[in-house]
Amino acid sequence: MLKILRDLLRYNREFAAGVALLGFVILVAAASFFSPYPAADSFVVPPDMPPSWPHVLGTNSRGQDVFWQLSFAIRNTLLFGFSVAILSRVISLVVGLVAGYAGGMVDRVLMSINDSFIVIPLFPILVLFYFVMRERMSWAWLALAMAALGWAYDARLIRSVALSLRTREFTQTSIFSGMSMRQILVEEHLPYVLPIVFSTTMNNINWSIGLEVTLSVLGFTNVDTPTIGMMIYWANQHTAMVAGIWWWIAFPVALVVMTFIGLFLLAVSMNEYIDPRSRLARMGV
Amino acid sequence: MATDRTRAVLTVEGLRAYYQVNTFGIEREVRAVDDVSLHVNANEIYGLAGESSCGKSTLVKTIAAAIRPPLRVLAGSVTYRFGERRVSLYDLDEGELARIRWKHVSYIMQGSMSVLNPLRRVRSAFVDFAFRHIGKPMPEFTAMVEAHLKRLHLEPTVLDAYPHELSGGMRQRITIALATVCRPDFIAADEPTTALDVVVQKSVLAELRQAQRETDASVLFVTHDMAVHANLSDRLGIMYAGRLVEEGTTAEVFATPAHPYTAHLIASLPRIGDTQAREGLGGAPPSLADPPPGCRFHPRCPLAMDICRREVPEMAWIGDTHRVACFATKAETA
Repeated sequence: MLKILRDLLRYNREFAAGVALLGFVILVAAASFFSPYPAADSFVVPPDMPPSWPHVLGTNSRGQDVFWQLSFAIRNTLLFGFSVAILSRVISLVVGLVAGYAGGMVDRVLMSINDSFIVIPLFPILVLFYFVMRERMSWAWLALAMAALGWAYDARLIRSVALSLRTREFTQTSIFSGMSMRQILVEEHLPYVLPIVFSTTMNNINWSIGLEVTLSVLGFTNVDTPTIGMMIYWANQHTAMVAGIWWWIAFPVALVVMTFIGLFLLAVSMNEYIDPRSRLARMGV
Repeated sequence: MATDRTRAVLTVEGLRAYYQVNTFGIEREVRAVDDVSLHVNANEIYGLAGESSCGKSTLVKTIAAAIRPPLRVLAGSVTYRFGERRVSLYDLDEGELARIRWKHVSYIMQGSMSVLNPLRRVRSAFVDFAFRHIGKPMPEFTAMVEAHLKRLHLEPTVLDAYPHELSGGMRQRITIALATVCRPDFIAADEPTTALDVVVQKSVLAELRQAQRETDASVLFVTHDMAVHANLSDRLGIMYAGRLVEEGTTAEVFATPAHPYTAHLIASLPRIGDTQAREGLGGAPPSLADPPPGCRFHPRCPLAMDICRREVPEMAWIGDTHRVACFATKAETA
């Protein structure tokens, strides 16, 4: 595992760049644990100060230090992305593997559900979800809702692989030797689809963060949990751009863009790593 | 080498296995195995020969109880005798079948080189397939597997290899070790050497032979390669278009082939010192979805008579161990 990481860092510049970007973002998120101010408190520092020591990214109109706010926000945003990705990966793995392996009626039922989820427009549904939930809307509810909506594409992808795996000789032999369906799926088929899942996980994190930012900026989420979207929302509420408080908007946007690019580079390099031909070509073997 | 060769380990009677497909309301039936009866004795290697698409693999699948829809067994019985226990395969429920497979009946599949999952080490294949059938704790199981590999002249270090790190012949031999590690009473081997060159083929066959002797197993060995049969099989059954057409000891079948199809099959083998080109048999095997009436070989048979087009010949004994299904041979000997 370490050897793979080392090779990837050495031979794959995208991977190295992705790791560096994401590493930086995670460092900023980790800094939130050392914050001198609680995340929700306002007017703890003088408002509207431009970036300068000791407030390196300035302070906002609500009297909060932008750097510490940002580190809370990116932590929540990342956590949100990871939870959505992991939850939706579990659903898509189960649905994809079972549909591909079981085939027949099971496959048809699961795939018709799956296809319905693919064609449903997600954004209006999430907005509707907010209006239904209103006061009860929280970070966890939104993550659950997005996980329940975001698994369908990958379930189809995993199913396509499982369809092929089921006809391979090792599957036939596994059946013959008396392995149960659960054992075959977990022990024989799962290792096959995991690399694909890793790669789509990155895309899924990107997708969920993007959607969360969109919803937050428009105010369709719980406005008390600091996330990147929330920061931009409050900055807009206080007309930060008009008032010239550019650092309130610029830094969150820059950080989330770094997150996007980092995850995207990781997904791309992961894709390339999965395909042994391009991996070998890169290593010059 | 044999203890008691007349006690049949496997008896197949009147077996019919068809592929039944229903696509968009059109029913099709492929009669891949039609009315086959045979038996395999203890400690015997029974060879099954015939050209492609004559139902060999289907017969093996049926015998190993490895059938899945659309393949269905319509009639006949497959009976095994393990020790003093008699087991009729198609009277068992799924749980009983699962206990028999691998432990008593193992199956080396066609294309058996890809039996090993390319993403997992060889060791996990052994654990996945054989561990539960042996029912011993892991250290003991590992020791057993290693001892078994050593008996078959394989290094125990192959257990930690991934399949792609091994050559084709090596993988094939591991597959055989995998199929024999539980010391099954019966091994069904479906073309285990097809993709190999002759040198590797020889060592794989030697290993199969040794595994068979080690475990006192009986083997049903399928290949279209008559030369392999001449080397390995004790008795030989010839299939044509889903039916067994001739059966006898390998020596008998090669020396005095009674069915015209067998005669052509053997005549097609090259011999050292040949100067003439080998004659081929015209035509191709019939479609099993719509086989010809009467003897299925009659459209290609040089000896075809009127009766061959109307009636299906029965298997008839022409010696103690030799039987054939042919009207022409019957007319000759009568």
